[in-house]
Amino acid sequence: MSFLGFFRDKLTQGSPGDNGNADRGIMVFEHTGEVIQAEGALKRGGWEIRVMGPPPEIQSGCDLVIEFPLIERLNILRTLEKEGIPPLQMVPVTGPLLQPVDIFHVKDFGEYLMVRAANMKLTVEKATGMIVNVSGGGCPDVPYLASAMVGRSLGDAPSPREIGHTLCGYSLQLAYEETRRRCLV
Amino acid sequence: MSTQVDARGLSCPQPVLMTIDTIKGEKTGEVEILVDTETSKENVSRAAANQGWEVADVAEEGDEYRITIRRE
Repeated sequence: MSFLGFFRDKLTQGSPGDNGNADRGIMVFEHTGEVIQAEGALKRGGWEIRVMGPPPEIQSGCDLVIEFPLIERLNILRTLEKEGIPPLQMVPVTGPLLQPVDIFHVKDFGEYLMVRAANMKLTVEKATGMIVNVSGGGCPDVPYLASAMVGRSLGDAPSPREIGHTLCGYSLQLAYEETRRRCLV
Repeated sequence: MSTQVDARGLSCPQPVLMTIDTIKGEKTGEVEILVDTETSKENVSRAAANQGWEVADVAEEGDEYRITIRRE
């Protein structure tokens, strides 16, 4: 299944009146590389943003969007234009079909927890925090990422962002951060 | 006689988890794991090696793989 198919299949629940996202917007970019660059620039600027999957109503752009505080729209746009990565669209989240989709899927296997972010899966042993499996993607650096991370604990494993070179590395970084958030409380 | 883990038809990470659960119970000896994707073959082999088991043989049988791991 493609990235896009994965996201399109995962409609979020809720209605526009009760979703608490009335003050949020989404930015659509042409390429995932621009999403990654924009995420870095905006986080460095201190904005609270989240990389998510595109909502069903958005038919343009790549397979990731950035959710942002709508009130900061102009400041964010200026920042991205200065960085040379203006978004294709900036859209307020005004209805269920414009809700961005959570890119995380978590599955509990009893002693193990798997976190999938987009196309990459990271599985850890709950009791020890040891990474027991890294899979998914199909990018050339996945075997390297797996060999560098499997068998190490979440606290000791290298960050995929530092050792990865592809979109799979980026997705794995998201899974790694979400797993650490869940397991290293 | 070796213990056998049949993980054919299962998607990641299940073949890996079944393998780890089995070798934690066995401690030593020989375990054969059957998988049907190259990704599972690689992931299971990596996981076994990380648990201190030697990947003694990987036999390709049609669309399937028979991975033999050992530990003295």
